[in-house]
Amino acid sequence: MSGARAADLLERELPAAVRRRDSGFDEVTVWVDRADLVAVCTLLRDHPDAAYTTPVFVTAVDWPDREPAEPRFDVVYMLRSLQHNDVCRLIVQLTEDDPHVPTLEGVFAGMDWHERECYDLIGITFTGHHDLKRILLPTDWDGHPLRKDYASFGEPVAFTHNLEWALPAQERPRDMPGGSR
Amino acid sequence: MTALPPPGTPTAGLDPLSEQYEAGREMLGIEPGLDAIDLVEIGDSTMELNMGPMHPSTHGVLRLVLNLDGEVVRECRPDIGYLHTGFEKDFERHTYQQCIPYTDRMDYLSPLFNNLGFSLAVEKLLGIEVPLRGQYLRVIMCELCRLASHLLWYGTSALDLGATTAFVYAWRDREKLLDINELVSGVRMHTSFIRVGGLLADVPDPFYEMVGAVIKTFPKLIDEHELLITKNPIWRQRTLGLGRLSPEDAMAYGATGPVLRGSGVPFDLRKAQPYSSYDHFDFDVPIGRTGDVYDRYLVRMQEMRESLKIITQAFENLPDGPVNTTDRRVALPPRNELNTSMESLIHHFKLVTEGMRVPAGQVYQAIESPRGELGFYLVSDGSNRPYRCKVRAPSFSNLSALPHMVRGELIADVVAVIGSIDIVLGDVDR
Repeated sequence: MSGARAADLLERELPAAVRRRDSGFDEVTVWVDRADLVAVCTLLRDHPDAAYTTPVFVTAVDWPDREPAEPRFDVVYMLRSLQHNDVCRLIVQLTEDDPHVPTLEGVFAGMDWHERECYDLIGITFTGHHDLKRILLPTDWDGHPLRKDYASFGEPVAFTHNLEWALPAQERPRDMPGGSR
Repeated sequence: MTALPPPGTPTAGLDPLSEQYEAGREMLGIEPGLDAIDLVEIGDSTMELNMGPMHPSTHGVLRLVLNLDGEVVRECRPDIGYLHTGFEKDFERHTYQQCIPYTDRMDYLSPLFNNLGFSLAVEKLLGIEVPLRGQYLRVIMCELCRLASHLLWYGTSALDLGATTAFVYAWRDREKLLDINELVSGVRMHTSFIRVGGLLADVPDPFYEMVGAVIKTFPKLIDEHELLITKNPIWRQRTLGLGRLSPEDAMAYGATGPVLRGSGVPFDLRKAQPYSSYDHFDFDVPIGRTGDVYDRYLVRMQEMRESLKIITQAFENLPDGPVNTTDRRVALPPRNELNTSMESLIHHFKLVTEGMRVPAGQVYQAIESPRGELGFYLVSDGSNRPYRCKVRAPSFSNLSALPHMVRGELIADVVAVIGSIDIVLGDVDR
């Protein structure tokens, strides 16, 4: 089962850091707190039983509807161990008001661009990153497209039943229902 | 040539020219830090040079901001995103089968691998396995695609260093492989041949003859390519010892594929975590010794021979039987059932209009594309569309190691190093 090696090691060496452990589809996921993230990843990289030396990616999944029961963002880290031929997944949960995690570029050089991409597309801030700016989108882009509340495409078309939604208040013709001028 | 100061060292006071220049930029309303001009003098000995995005050797629309000391590169800052198309967002509003054509267009030189990676991820969530014939055909088509991709890489990177003949030869051979794509799917590049649950269809009869011809002729053609380049003194002078990447750095940057193997790490997902019956075939994983541009070249040339070995074995042992799964969550009911069964008709209608429903959960499926580890991290909420699909693009991680590789090299060699990474900007930017 992929990721079991990392989860076992963490439960043995840093039991306080493991918030939750779950498995499904032959893959193990470990939930950790952001305060423990750097320590956890350093341990996974340096411990000879783990040797997760290669970053695969970091991304985030947005679940806007599940707050306040659970935090809105899942920041997902995947690390690969070439030595033990394993890949593990860590998840850090972040609330809508406070979406930041410490950067891992000091642990894995390759995390640099992945963290910039995650910041660019989902708006997670990586504190301590040396050059956290947009990487795929233009620098003057507005918003973070992979958030679920970001309209995915097209321009709203105004019909009589959806005028309030489709047209900004100032642009509504006066003789139309909902017109403000 | 003076010794290089460590990167990041601030340069001595600006000369009047650049102060004027800054004032001019301010007048024009150009934000500080925004590089809008091609050539910028920033100190007495260093110069910033803008390379790309319209540059023939950047293989698409890659822009590099190079900080030069004379001809030596002190720092390189890649600027990507010119080809960003938001496919990951598009996935979220399409059904699973509708996502397949999008995957074609990410890494447009190896579309079949993208199809395969996505299909395998969805199949993992669904818990289905494609029949053996389907798996073997997937392998054959993917390895043919790897040949085509490596040939294109070989042609263009040789062209970057001035070898026009190699380019023409590579194009000649790649045509034969695209002809096979056209035969099986009707399209030469964006095939969408591999679907969730199997393939578009079984292969037509001329397929056997055409693949047989590839198996027969390609070893000789690869010899021909190697004859042109491998021992060519100009090629060796331009590439030996250039753009070195140590195994430790390659791993830390998340480099995969021929870039990682060129550095001497024998990691290949086809061997390490076999998928789609790759464990049925006997092949070797070529590795380099020094991790320079020449080693990456050798690794790719050898990989083409290994691909041919895999194609030969899969082709000779190609089993009979269906190519698509019969799992009714994915597969359409057979035509004859529709005439007699109302339930089948409804099921057919629902599958076509709504698409399949995939159990909730998260999976990560990685495959070995010609450029390295191509991964699909798929989160499903149980509906008929992916809730989130993150594509782990091999070119993205490989390219992030470029600044490390070109630091201290000559500017003319930057072109050779970019060529050796084999980036596809569609894959980097997605």
